[in-house]
Amino acid sequence: MSGPAIRTQDLSLTLGRTEVLEGITLTVAPGSIHAIVGPNGGGKSSLIRCLLGQMPFRGTVELDWPGAPGRLAYVPQALQFDAGLPMTVLDFLNALDSRRPAFLRPRAATRAHLLRQLEIVGMAGKADRRMGALSGGERQRVLMAQALDPAPDLLILDEPMAALDEAGAALFETILTDLRAKGVTILWIEHDLDAVRRIADHVTALNRRVRFDGAPSHGLTPDRVLDLFSHRGIAA
Amino acid sequence: MTFEAFRQWVQSLAETGWLPSALGWGFAVNALLAGLIVGPMLGSLGTLVVVRRHAFFAEAVGHAALTGVAIGILAGEPYTGPYGALFGYCLLFAIGLEYLRGRTGLSADTLIGVFLSTSLALGASVLLILAGRINVHILENVLFGSILTVNGTDLAVLAVVAVVVTALTGWLYNRFMLASFHPALALVRGVPVRTLDYLFVMLVTVVTVASLKIVGAVLVGALLVIPAAAARTVARSLRGFWWLSVGIATFSTLAGILLPMQYDLPVPSGAAIILVAGSCFLICTALRALVPALKGDAA
Repeated sequence: MSGPAIRTQDLSLTLGRTEVLEGITLTVAPGSIHAIVGPNGGGKSSLIRCLLGQMPFRGTVELDWPGAPGRLAYVPQALQFDAGLPMTVLDFLNALDSRRPAFLRPRAATRAHLLRQLEIVGMAGKADRRMGALSGGERQRVLMAQALDPAPDLLILDEPMAALDEAGAALFETILTDLRAKGVTILWIEHDLDAVRRIADHVTALNRRVRFDGAPSHGLTPDRVLDLFSHRGIAA
Repeated sequence: MTFEAFRQWVQSLAETGWLPSALGWGFAVNALLAGLIVGPMLGSLGTLVVVRRHAFFAEAVGHAALTGVAIGILAGEPYTGPYGALFGYCLLFAIGLEYLRGRTGLSADTLIGVFLSTSLALGASVLLILAGRINVHILENVLFGSILTVNGTDLAVLAVVAVVVTALTGWLYNRFMLASFHPALALVRGVPVRTLDYLFVMLVTVVTVASLKIVGAVLVGALLVIPAAAARTVARSLRGFWWLSVGIATFSTLAGILLPMQYDLPVPSGAAIILVAGSCFLICTALRALVPALKGDAA
């Protein structure tokens, strides 16, 4: 087991006068796939930003590592960036991976290593394509590739499958379950409830507050899902 | 080889016809050396300026330099190189601007607009006070650059700045790129995004001040932007982007210095440099329009 347990206690976030998150208390078991579902604007991405320490929140977040703190990796939501930037897929991964400035040719060993990483997500053939010229799904694959290198102990994903085709989604599910088998803790925001039912160990439904929290087979009943997404709320 | 020996060597090459005859003058060699440092340095940093959307900031710092010069002369520094006030005022301008960005709820361009005009007003006021003391026409050199005024001190300042800036941008280039490409991901990867924001405006500032004599306050920002903008329109990778930007900036600087001397044109060096860079930009945009592959969608 390499991944940590995550515990949040009474985590709240207010932006301006809007209460984005309210008293979130949840536990992510080490080495599990923990899915977070909920409507848009329900605070899923904000929760992740809080966990990453990128937003000021009230309450506590604890990461309980089995030994020395391991490596955290993050797959952000589909990249919002300047699509005209002449940055190829390899440029992007190389910039993340190495200190050798991007304007110099990457070392042969680095290039080979990055190509192997891209192969895992089926993108090796598009290594020299500009990031801006990729489809949404291809971009997601590249973002997954960067998260897998170096190997993570805690992986946080923000709707990684939003733009993926069926083959891509199946590949990502395999990658996530393989990581779980290695003991990696995975916190996964997902809108595809079928995917959550298939591979998540635990699901938390979030709409400003925790609406329910439990095993997907019990938690994601049609009634609860309807209530969650119709903003009527539900008793935990 | 000492600098003096180097200058004489270049002058002798010019006399024998191996180099343009304009380099027969000592000041021309100074200017050429300055150009050889300024061109690559601005071209390289310019790629980050364009990616980080700091073009307007680069322009504003150039204009702040005018006020810096005025304050320096008022404080008794030599009017040929009031570097104390220049670095001091411009760094204050840049750091103040960066500090307020994100704290005022204003967009960056609005905030820069406020800083720029206030600073210019201050500069104009100080200049009026100075008008009785010195010939303010000297300031034309500051505004538009003049190869005649580049002296040993300027070259020394330029060389030190170039070494520091090249070392820092080389070491941190990828991190600067990532921090602007995706700040949240960069933070997770351990990139100190906010510290780099400050460091970057400071780098642009010292580069601007050091290049002032050769390119001029009004135009130095342009040399940070135009070569990189031109390169961006046709480049298909970061490597191509950087090398092309450095190439265009160096070529523009050298051509802008040598052409007016060689052909006896009454054009200030800064203006000539930017005119050459602007022409390169036009050529690049035309190339992009004519060659579909350069639009980058096909790989």
